[in-house]
Amino acid sequence: MAGLELLSDQGYRVDGRRAGELRKIQARMGVFAQADGSAYIEQGNTKALAVVYGPHEIRGSRSRALPDRALVNCQYSSATFSTGERKRRPHGDRKSCEMGLQLRQTFEAAILTQLHPRSQIDIYVQPLRGVVSLQVLQADGGTYAACVNAATLAVLDAGIPMRDFVCACSAGFVDGTALADLSHVEEAAGGPQLALALLPASGQIALLEMDARLHEDHLEWVLEAAAQAARDVHTLLDRVVRQHVHEASILLGD
Amino acid sequence: MPLIKGMLIERPSFRSYFHSCGVFLSVPNVDLPPLCSSRFRSGPPGEEAQVASQFIADVIENSQIIQKEDLCISSGKLAWVLYCDLICLDYDGNILDACTFALLAALKNVQLPEVSINEETSLAEVNLKKKSFLNIRTHPVATSFAVFDDTLLIVDPTGEEERLATGTLTVVMDEEGRLSCLHKPGGSGLTGAKLQDCMSRAVTRHKEVKTLMDEVIKSMKPK
Repeated sequence: MAGLELLSDQGYRVDGRRAGELRKIQARMGVFAQADGSAYIEQGNTKALAVVYGPHEIRGSRSRALPDRALVNCQYSSATFSTGERKRRPHGDRKSCEMGLQLRQTFEAAILTQLHPRSQIDIYVQPLRGVVSLQVLQADGGTYAACVNAATLAVLDAGIPMRDFVCACSAGFVDGTALADLSHVEEAAGGPQLALALLPASGQIALLEMDARLHEDHLEWVLEAAAQAARDVHTLLDRVVRQHVHEASILLGD
Repeated sequence: MPLIKGMLIERPSFRSYFHSCGVFLSVPNVDLPPLCSSRFRSGPPGEEAQVASQFIADVIENSQIIQKEDLCISSGKLAWVLYCDLICLDYDGNILDACTFALLAALKNVQLPEVSINEETSLAEVNLKKKSFLNIRTHPVATSFAVFDDTLLIVDPTGEEERLATGTLTVVMDEEGRLSCLHKPGGSGLTGAKLQDCMSRAVTRHKEVKTLMDEVIKSMKPK
């Protein structure tokens, strides 16, 4: 975008954040009664809902059942109103399928599927993006990251055992500096973007995806910025989980 | 006071289209995704979602919440189309009541920008700075009942109660006691007297719901 300075000389970004600073995150677990596990997260203006059903018996063809582990089924559906133009087909389009697949691959790495053979775990994610104005309906960036974080909380709420939290964050590279947690404006500017899903305790990367060209020398910085941001997200999510458990135990009268 | 069960998020979006006034000016769509309950599968909208969508369309049409003339920008040329998307997030029975309530609340929240037709270019010019609320003429509120074996009637059934019920009844009434819609899809029979009881309960419900909604709208921060 002409004339838009993504990083000022003093090191401030468009929304006033520093290079490595995350947007404000608010999360709640156990928001729905019907689902086995559910969570709602807000990262800046990006909002995501995740709902988990399972582990339960395989729906549909029994032949899909895996004898030694659970089948993880992820579905990503953006609401018809969450993007600029009203979408006629919220499911089944390429982007939704791709996101669903990425989420499935991410969570297959984290969930201890060996504990539930021949069963199915459903994860449904629905992002609800904030609307800034009528003309330019901006979706605030970081949809994938918000979805993964929401899904982690939902899986934990459902009591499904996981190897570790899965914390995700995006990162970019502007003017020689790595930026963490890109907003929509920064994503739309067209620079390199990296999405990272991390298992914080072991430091293992569950998913890494990058668009646009980036010099290999810079990769390390961007990766480190994303990893650090993911660890910050982990601290936050950990606190949310502990708070939720604390509240639940009060209700049970312990 | 009976609670509205099942949470809904709705956001009518609007586009202006070149077509003559009076054709499909509001398009409601109810979505019951698999995330709201394990009884729904993913794929094209099931029976329940389609019935609910049609019910909402009937409510809008019959109760005349909005007049078609209010959506007209320039007669014969330009009109607003309201897309009402209702997505169920948590299904615990009584979807029709919740849908109607959400629809009404969302419509009260809608702000349309001013559109003028430039005479020289005959193109529409949208003025985003000047927005006005929709003119809501009536406030229909739905009250649903579950019928058990012709004798027992319970208002605002939960998911479990709905599953066990032998019939359901939904009454849509507006603030002047006018009936917009009466929906009784088969099921066990109901005497006339029982029906009258339902009507009076619907009137009371209308008052309760309207008070709640007015409170909420007043407490909302203006954008």
